[in-house]
Amino acid sequence: MTARAEFIGRIRRETSKTPGLFPATVAERPADPAAAVERVRRQLAERWPQAIRRFQEEFERLAGVFHVVPRMDQVPAVVGRIARERSVRRVICWSAAALGADLGEGLRQEGLDAVPMPDGIVGEPEARRLRELSAAAEIGVTGADLAIAETGTLALISGRGRPRSTSLLPEYHVAVFDRRVLVETVEQAGVVLEAWHAEPARSMSGGAITFITGPSRTADIELTLTRGVHGPREVHAIFIE
Amino acid sequence: MSESASTSFPQRAARAIKDEFLQQALAIATTRFVNSRNEVFQAFPQGEALRDRARQIKEAVLQRLDHYLEQLTDNVERLGGHVHFATTAEEARGIILSIARENRVELVVKGKSMAAEEIDLNEALEHAGIRVAETDLGEYIIQLAHEKPSHIIAPAIHKTKAQIADVFAKELRHQVAADPEVITRLARGALRDKFLQADMGISGANFAVASTGTVVLVTNEGNGRMVTSLPRVHVALMGVEKVIPSMTDLVVFLQILARSATGQKLSAYTTLVRGPRQAAELDGPQEFHLVLMDNGRVKQLAGPLREALYCLRCGACLNVCPVYRQIGGHAYGDTYPGPIGILMTAMLRGNGAVKDLAHASSLCGACAEVCPVRIDIPRMLIELREHLDREKIAPWPERVIFKTYARLLGRPALYRLAGPVSRLMQRPFVRQGRIRSLPLLFRKWTATRDLPPVAPRTFRERWGELERER
Repeated sequence: MTARAEFIGRIRRETSKTPGLFPATVAERPADPAAAVERVRRQLAERWPQAIRRFQEEFERLAGVFHVVPRMDQVPAVVGRIARERSVRRVICWSAAALGADLGEGLRQEGLDAVPMPDGIVGEPEARRLRELSAAAEIGVTGADLAIAETGTLALISGRGRPRSTSLLPEYHVAVFDRRVLVETVEQAGVVLEAWHAEPARSMSGGAITFITGPSRTADIELTLTRGVHGPREVHAIFIE
Repeated sequence: MSESASTSFPQRAARAIKDEFLQQALAIATTRFVNSRNEVFQAFPQGEALRDRARQIKEAVLQRLDHYLEQLTDNVERLGGHVHFATTAEEARGIILSIARENRVELVVKGKSMAAEEIDLNEALEHAGIRVAETDLGEYIIQLAHEKPSHIIAPAIHKTKAQIADVFAKELRHQVAADPEVITRLARGALRDKFLQADMGISGANFAVASTGTVVLVTNEGNGRMVTSLPRVHVALMGVEKVIPSMTDLVVFLQILARSATGQKLSAYTTLVRGPRQAAELDGPQEFHLVLMDNGRVKQLAGPLREALYCLRCGACLNVCPVYRQIGGHAYGDTYPGPIGILMTAMLRGNGAVKDLAHASSLCGACAEVCPVRIDIPRMLIELREHLDREKIAPWPERVIFKTYARLLGRPALYRLAGPVSRLMQRPFVRQGRIRSLPLLFRKWTATRDLPPVAPRTFRERWGELERER
């Protein structure tokens, strides 16, 4: 292994030997990311109906299933229907704090075995038990921290009460979101990312952000599209109006 | 690599051209990739400006590479991750092996990583008694078949579904239908167990964001997410050139990467990983290691292959290359196939390794046209040929012929004579309007193609006549 100083030093010597191929600059970042996000949100205040239509169009093109409900307390009924249609009943979901509502009771009333993820820190045996539960669950219910209309993408921040595996291990992923997380373009998503990282301690309690654009897919065998290789075979988006 | 040691490039290429399965698979795959890519860019007018932007960012990063790597290192360490520096492939292998030993790792799950292919990491781990499972479906297939990837983003592109079903049948000892859906289900089951048991996940990195300490993985299957979420240790291996400054730069690249690679607007998963699991998290690795690798890259910062360091590894240049489309990836004989692969091979193994490969291009420029960061691959290939000649690596007949040709072109009087002289000399060899075989030094040329004969009247002669007629 090479020491850091020696490694970087060599790179510095090599870069200083040449001015490069042409004068070039990196992308210009928003000076005040929070204010830039505010501007995006203000635009969306009027345009959100078009944006969510675009999201739906793109999401469905990726074989995503789009649902609309007026209120959060109607989410369990949608999940219940998805479960019954697929003859499954084991559900894991983000914690009540992470989802912004306690879905556990509602999901149980739908006849589902629902396990919300814990908000606090748990011991190793409990972590192992939850992991086994997650691996066996058929449906994972999460929130979404960003929805990008032009690509039909959902972005999820990991952290307290919001494990990475909830949207990964089950066959069916259900993400619940509302217009507050909606942006129109990938470029705008970049502004949101800048804002999150400007204050990471406030915005993110975990180490991973995952952008999800449709179900898990592969074309590795004769370029034939096949869904659900490792991640979910179906992704559902429930939009709360 | 082992293959390239025992056979020459012309032999491998000749074998590939005769392989009917391969020809069929290549034709289907490359045509589909090219069409998807073109369609998605046609519907995305801002794509061209984004490509210019992305090219600028890559160049700007190389101009201050030391600065961005320092920043990346500081940020990863601040998040509780470890950063390692590997000058050579051997060092990179050694670092990863010692992380595995310290953590008593028995099973590794690997995401798709060209950098890991480049250093033959699997062999090194297996040699140390550690089991390795490739988890990208294409990589898993070729691991079971004991082969090497033949395309940067579709490693098993050279195999038909029937061949793949046979590979699975042999591994599982029961009949497997030649159906992608069935095979994918089987792989999901087999690999799911491994993800849950594995002690360590190894991934590459499509990008690393310096200002935030984030490693970015772009995948479609979700194996990249598994590898970075489930095992207790995550090791990311990347070439130093993969660093970018900020999230704003990242979204520039994300908008063109999947479009160039597969014709998708975004790949199914873009995973941003900042260090190990944080205190509040239920899952994610307890340890995170980032290995920054040189392996021949750094000396190209001021070298002739600098521009190749812009490469995003999207594979678009492979799909449009008339040579790749005929011979596939294995014929190139090294980790990186296709037009960019020739340059990468020269970078990693020196000019001596590409004396034949440097000519495996028609210089048509299709690669430069589709490259998301507009790498001028033909320019570097021409320069590479020049180097091979100057360093006397090129075979002597080739050097003699080109030197003679250059003299001829440099002297108008000689050139004028060349027409009638060639017509006289070619007479015994012309059959039905083509030269099908030539003797001596020229035999190799006509062994695989015909040569059009020198015209009865050359352009100069006709021009002279036209002038006189006026």
